Amino acid sequence: MGLISRLSPAALRIIALLAVLAIVVIFFAVQIEGYLNGRLFNRISSSVAIMALIATGQTLVILTRNIDLSVGSMVGFAAFATGSIITNNPDLNPLLLVLYAAVVGTAFGMVNGALVAYARVPSIIVTLATMALYRSFLVEYSDAKSITTSGLPAWLTDFPNMPVFSIGAMEFRAGFTASLAVVIIVHLCLTRLRPARALFAVGSNPEAAEMAGIDAKRVVFAAFALSGLMAGLAGFMFLARFGTITVVAGLGFELKSVASSVVGGVNIFGGSGSVIGAFLGAILVDLLETSLVRWAVVSEFWREAVLGALILAAVATDTILSRRLTRLRATKKGDAK
Amino acid sequence: MNPVLALRAVSKNFGMTAALTDMTLELFPGEVHAIVGENGAGKSTMIKIMTGIHQPSAGTVEVDGAPVVLSGSKAARLRGVAAIYQEPMVFPDLDVTENIFISATSGLLLNRPAMRRRARELIARIGMTLDVDRIASGLSLAEQQAVEIARALSQDVRVLIMDEPTASLSAHEASELRRIARALAADGVSVVYISHRLEEVFELANRVSVIRDGKHISTKGIADTNPQTLIAEMVGREVGNYFTKMPSTATSETLISVQGLSVDGVFENISFDIKRGEVLAMAGLIGARRTDVALALFGMLKTSAGQVTYKGQPLQITSSRQAIDAGIAYVSEDRRKMGLAMALPIRWNITLATLQKYLSPMGLINTGAEVATAWDYKKKLNIRTPNTDIAVGLLSGGNQQKVMLAKWLNMAPDLLIVDEPTRGIDVGAKAEVHALIRAFTAAGGTALVISSDLPEVLALGDRILVMREGRQMAIINHEDASQESIMALATGQKDAA
Repeated sequence: MGLISRLSPAALRIIALLAVLAIVVIFFAVQIEGYLNGRLFNRISSSVAIMALIATGQTLVILTRNIDLSVGSMVGFAAFATGSIITNNPDLNPLLLVLYAAVVGTAFGMVNGALVAYARVPSIIVTLATMALYRSFLVEYSDAKSITTSGLPAWLTDFPNMPVFSIGAMEFRAGFTASLAVVIIVHLCLTRLRPARALFAVGSNPEAAEMAGIDAKRVVFAAFALSGLMAGLAGFMFLARFGTITVVAGLGFELKSVASSVVGGVNIFGGSGSVIGAFLGAILVDLLETSLVRWAVVSEFWREAVLGALILAAVATDTILSRRLTRLRATKKGDAK
Repeated sequence: MNPVLALRAVSKNFGMTAALTDMTLELFPGEVHAIVGENGAGKSTMIKIMTGIHQPSAGTVEVDGAPVVLSGSKAARLRGVAAIYQEPMVFPDLDVTENIFISATSGLLLNRPAMRRRARELIARIGMTLDVDRIASGLSLAEQQAVEIARALSQDVRVLIMDEPTASLSAHEASELRRIARALAADGVSVVYISHRLEEVFELANRVSVIRDGKHISTKGIADTNPQTLIAEMVGREVGNYFTKMPSTATSETLISVQGLSVDGVFENISFDIKRGEVLAMAGLIGARRTDVALALFGMLKTSAGQVTYKGQPLQITSSRQAIDAGIAYVSEDRRKMGLAMALPIRWNITLATLQKYLSPMGLINTGAEVATAWDYKKKLNIRTPNTDIAVGLLSGGNQQKVMLAKWLNMAPDLLIVDEPTRGIDVGAKAEVHALIRAFTAAGGTALVISSDLPEVLALGDRILVMREGRQMAIINHEDASQESIMALATGQKDAA
């Protein structure tokens, strides 16, 4: 009990998430024969490698009380644009290729940011519109053609599956390791850098942030630009993993990234949350999705419903928990008349 | 000596309206300079110009005798000008240390141990004890203000503007805050103190400036003026006897009788009755649990013991709907949170609790009748607004309070419970609100008024119930009550007789 009260609420959230992950794994291990093996880890880690980046960017935006619904379209566009460049210039330096994906994503993110922060259009409207716009750009740009694995250099398609190190049967491959590294770097920046504090401040109390001399517009703009950057990097990963890119690449990622963040304890009303939480949230969502496919009890038609219900349950728990905390504070305060 | 900050003939226009006209003000190091004026007099505009949020339309702002342009709150902070408000501007999700250093501009990496050490020093400098790792949303208002003051100090503040800082504090917390203000001034900080509480102004300030209708009226040493003069200067006319008690309109019929009402762990054994036409005032310090008694009567809090007899019948109320149906109205102390829908038009707010009266046979809202009611109240309560379709949030505090009263008066309640009816509103509007409550009881209504403002308790209460920490200390008749006797009971210096 003493330990629990000493831990910060954020740390408690992470522990709770890890516990939920463990419970889910144990549950399915009992239900499904041959569930626990290296293949499960590989399947989930290679899919999380992409979603973790997107959820990280989404978290930065949600922290400022906004939302970015255009991430899926940005991932798709970045993947296609990157694939088309490398197909036409097979000898391009790999680093330049990553940089290209990042620049494409950031540019789209900056458009979102400018519209939200400086033109003062609500983010849900801006990104709903750009979600459609960026997708249309992709359709136009692709000219109804697809990127195919055959046109890509071997180093690119091999990259995600390159083993880096392994713990027991869990093989950490390059794609997942790189994405994990990005998440950790962003986490360290968020907790250790002074300018990052402004992100939390703006989401926590925008008016007070203004009064405290924080340029809230710039902060919101930066959050969207970074979300674009993350989507660009995710686009690169997407291309490397799948090789084949069509106009529907990244469709539906926006909702999955929001779900990952929220399940990971990021407050949808801004101001609190961590990218580590969002990362674990992405793992949990993916784990559920992958496991439900193999679980015979739930029919294909109910899979989405079960997933939705589980996400709702996670968010409801969060709401109830924070309300409890508020009440606890209120009684402790004792200054009610 | 140069003034550290000065406004020279500053004007500010918003479109066609002049919020400030030709304002001149000099602030010197080491003084507490009080600024008083009615709501809407231009105080907030003036603060916003001093803190760089607004730029003057004409005139100049000087720092140390040199004209400057304060292009934003950051620029103002860099010049050493900071403000704290009645509602503290803290970040609820961040801890005390992070809150204090949120405006810091140097250094890329956060040095957490050094920040915590410095945060402790700053908190100690203002004579508070506060865990620097606590999350701000759990802090009391007084503690949040301490955090804001520490934030200002962390940036070498030279002019600290305090806007109604004690309006929401308990008496003890308020005197703590005044001590801090005095200590800062002794350190050479120029403290600007904005308050509606004149007794506070006279206790604390060295000089006092009055502004009215966006114009500077006077600046005097505190010894050269007195409360009556200040009030007259603020309102520009003699206020009718706002502190004088109107005669009681109580009848002999008991409307409500409360016996031994308790809520476990909150308050216990509260007993009183109120006659039709009477005003019972509830006095006490913050934490006396007066609001909880009101909430229990209004069905929002589950009682654990006691009986309520209402109109001669036993009454068990378990929801606010029941209370409203029984003719009990509760006007909350918190306009923003529980009282008004700020973004909705005045008209909608007034009819919100009584909308079923405005339905046509088709079940549609009869807008014509609604407008008529809203205009009726606008005239009766003197709500200052061009029309009733503008958002309530755009009105001044006093006018918002009147809209809230209108909403509940429109229900034609038998028992009107009003919680802090005049908090944060100016003297003129106060007098109007008092007259309203009096008119309500004269017409046969019954009122229970909760107030922390002692002159108000004495001006309104036919009888006064004093509470302290969830216990009923005494019920005193108006003739036997004085500020001193109420205070003695409320602070526990004198025990319940």
